[in-house]
Amino acid sequence: MGAGRAKDLKGRLLNNADLLINWSRKYSLWPMFFGLSCCFVEEAAAFTSRYDLARFGAEVLRPSPRQADLLIVSGTLFKKIAPVVLRLYEQMAEPKWVMSMGSCSNCGGMYDVYSVVQGVDQILPVDIYIPGCPPRPEALLQGLVMLQEKIGAEKPSRSVLHLKGGTQGSQKPILVDGQTKSRDPRGPGMEGTVIRGTSVVPPEFQDSRADLMWTPPPRQIELIGPDKNLAAVLANRFGETVRISPRVSDMLTIQVAPDRVKDILLFLKSEATPKYKRLDDLTAIDESARRERAAYPDYTLVYQLLSFESGGRLRLKVPLTGRDPVTRSVTDIWPSADWYEREVFDLFGIRFEGHPNLRRILMPHDWEGYPLRKSYPGRATEIPPYTLEEARRQQPLDGGIFVEGSAAEHQLVLNVGPHHVSTHGLMRYIVTLEGEEITSLEMDIGYHHRAAEKIAERQTWHQFIPYTDRVDYLAGAANNLPYVLAVETLAGIQVPERAQVIRVMLSEFFRLSNHLVFFATYAHDVGAMTPNFYTFREREMILDIVELITGGRLHPSWFRLGGVAADLPDGWKEAVDRFVRIFPSRLMEYETLIRKNPIFKARTVGIGRLSLDEAMDWGVTGPNLRACGLPWDLRKKTPYSGYENFDFEIPTAGEGDCYARYLVRVEEMRQSLRIIEQAAANMPAGRYMTEDYRFVIPQRKDMLKDIESLIHHFINVTRGPKIPRGEAYAACEIPRGEQGYYVVSDGLGYSYRTRIRGPGFANIQVMPLMVVGATIADLIAICGSLDYILPDIDR
Amino acid sequence: MQPVAIESVLSPWEPGIFSLTLYAILVLAFVASQLFLASWLGEKKKTREKLRPYECGIIPTGTARLRYPVPFYMVAIFFLLFDVEGAYIFTWAIAWEKLGWSGWLQISFFIVLLLLGLVYIWNKGGLEWGPAAQKI
Repeated sequence: MGAGRAKDLKGRLLNNADLLINWSRKYSLWPMFFGLSCCFVEEAAAFTSRYDLARFGAEVLRPSPRQADLLIVSGTLFKKIAPVVLRLYEQMAEPKWVMSMGSCSNCGGMYDVYSVVQGVDQILPVDIYIPGCPPRPEALLQGLVMLQEKIGAEKPSRSVLHLKGGTQGSQKPILVDGQTKSRDPRGPGMEGTVIRGTSVVPPEFQDSRADLMWTPPPRQIELIGPDKNLAAVLANRFGETVRISPRVSDMLTIQVAPDRVKDILLFLKSEATPKYKRLDDLTAIDESARRERAAYPDYTLVYQLLSFESGGRLRLKVPLTGRDPVTRSVTDIWPSADWYEREVFDLFGIRFEGHPNLRRILMPHDWEGYPLRKSYPGRATEIPPYTLEEARRQQPLDGGIFVEGSAAEHQLVLNVGPHHVSTHGLMRYIVTLEGEEITSLEMDIGYHHRAAEKIAERQTWHQFIPYTDRVDYLAGAANNLPYVLAVETLAGIQVPERAQVIRVMLSEFFRLSNHLVFFATYAHDVGAMTPNFYTFREREMILDIVELITGGRLHPSWFRLGGVAADLPDGWKEAVDRFVRIFPSRLMEYETLIRKNPIFKARTVGIGRLSLDEAMDWGVTGPNLRACGLPWDLRKKTPYSGYENFDFEIPTAGEGDCYARYLVRVEEMRQSLRIIEQAAANMPAGRYMTEDYRFVIPQRKDMLKDIESLIHHFINVTRGPKIPRGEAYAACEIPRGEQGYYVVSDGLGYSYRTRIRGPGFANIQVMPLMVVGATIADLIAICGSLDYILPDIDR
Repeated sequence: MQPVAIESVLSPWEPGIFSLTLYAILVLAFVASQLFLASWLGEKKKTREKLRPYECGIIPTGTARLRYPVPFYMVAIFFLLFDVEGAYIFTWAIAWEKLGWSGWLQISFFIVLLLLGLVYIWNKGGLEWGPAAQKI
């Protein structure tokens, strides 16, 4: 009897202790400041004034795992970052909880691709899953409340008091792909149906129904003026080794024999008129799955050059033969070719003789195979599942390996990133420090490689549009534009004027939204917290307008081939007008906080200086180039989507330092607002989708009423429009610089090869020029001022 | 009125050894209990990863016990020098009425000497800070 009562009393005491401990724990969660990709932007929005995470007692985002007890896995879990995530989790304080935020983290989401782990629950125990792509901030709040309920049901006092039993923290077992969780990306129960895309991807797929469809030939342009002259000069000078492509859709294209390519590139860079000073892009195509195999070499190397004098572009195609071909490096002509050649080596296995440092760049150093080869499986579900053991074994390369020679012995080698507040994403800098001074800077990228280019080869032309949104997750719809323009160029699709203006308006809204985030995070980087809470207010206004028009926030996926997804809704004009009225005074207010602030100026003026010559030579684009003094903006230089009809200026600054980059972006916001104002005031009436439904998804009303449109809708939605065989490139001035899409069609419903030229890749490659010789604190100021984003560097 | 004896206004030095001991024991017991509770109640899982230094999620490279560059010591020592000198000046300031003009002269001499020292190290570049590129 006595023993029973004592036991009872003990139980009651423990229960009360549970209540007390749980109450204090659940209202003081400390999430770790760690974002993997897009979802983190919504997580950060939940932290700002409109959603106010502080109401739930979880506003203290800790940059160190030692101080955090809640891991919100927000975004895509890449195989290259998974070991880091696991380590961070294990370094967190006890007890700890895990929330998986967004489809990618839950199950791989739309990224069923070789570089992505199909769910974080394969390496960590997960307490709460938040669905969405990305989930809205409210969904995160909901997830937090659910986690609080889960914590409320725990029995921690027994483990706290070292008694047997009790529960606290995440205790769910990790799942094993294929055993305790379904390997099917569509979820369990779908085993009977073949996964979309697997059966139609070459080389296996033979009898495409697209062959039964007729299409007009691809768009053809006539070479004019300087292009024609240049073609003649090249033919004259290099004779048989160059061949001008007779039919092109976008730019002068020259086939060059591999042994002469360096001479021709050198000629084009230094002697030709006009001079092609920038190596715009360098990539390759694996031709082994072409349907007319005999007409193509094994690989084609594609150099794309740009002339600042004429604004024109030029494409050099170099056929390569053999299974693992070797060609000569052009790093001595363009230093920027360094990373491009490494990328081609990494993804295609083409080697470059004379390259100073030819090793993998995007994939982990111990990766096997070359993912962009046609023989390489695209889907993660086609290759063995990722396991906990792999996450323990496949560690990122040791920092010392990046640093050359004796420097590593008596200087401090420090990893900044991939988990760091100020690297703005999964970027790893390996800095060598002599005191506070940076003596060398190495970069390790690829932690955010989502393999969008590989995915493009299995999704239909329309299905790929949502992936373009996520290439630069702060630029939303502005990302769609270069892709749809490239396909429209190739297929010769005419876009109605109304759709063009809608596209411009949305692109500019996203420029504003991006620059507001830049403003906030940059001020934060150099020590000012306040602007974060202010600028997200206007950013939310913009996202509300975007949501009103498109239904989405970060990733509207709203542009379509031939137009946009739907017409503007009622009430859009009032919302836009209201924003246009309010914004200038708000911007002025924020500017007074920052522009003349002595601390801000001390941190930025004269820091991270980049000369104009260097910027042009390294292919730097966007505000970073304009901050060096060159008024180069594709919206003016090669207007697209009707930008020529708008009245705006290109802001520039001459110094090329961090402060200049800040000034340019702020002024760009004013100019974007002008464009938005004009677009809203002069919105043309008419259709939002082209009239010719051959390649496009018809207007909804027509689809419901008219059998022709219904058939087009059915074909173009299911197996995708057959885009004529050919290739085209289109580039747009997105907020961060020039983003271009190079699409190659083999006459099927999906692209044969899609190449994304992201501005970040080139903008980041010049970092050592700015950083070496500066202090470690300047590194943070410089990173922030470049305003890069990882998915567009690693793609 | 009788003059007040200064001894009776200020309490004399009477070391109450009992209260001091008690106080010390209480303090020690409190601190010890806090340390013990924090260490006993806190959950510890000493895995290999947990004990590893945190460096942005990467396994750290090389040693952290490096030869630090000289400027770090210089600044530290200059700070110490000028800081200790502050102690002299403050004590003089409290007693400046009593010390009179001679005290003023002495401390002025001291301050001037300090200033000369400051000018000297300034000229010598002892206060230079930041990367080499900016020093030139």
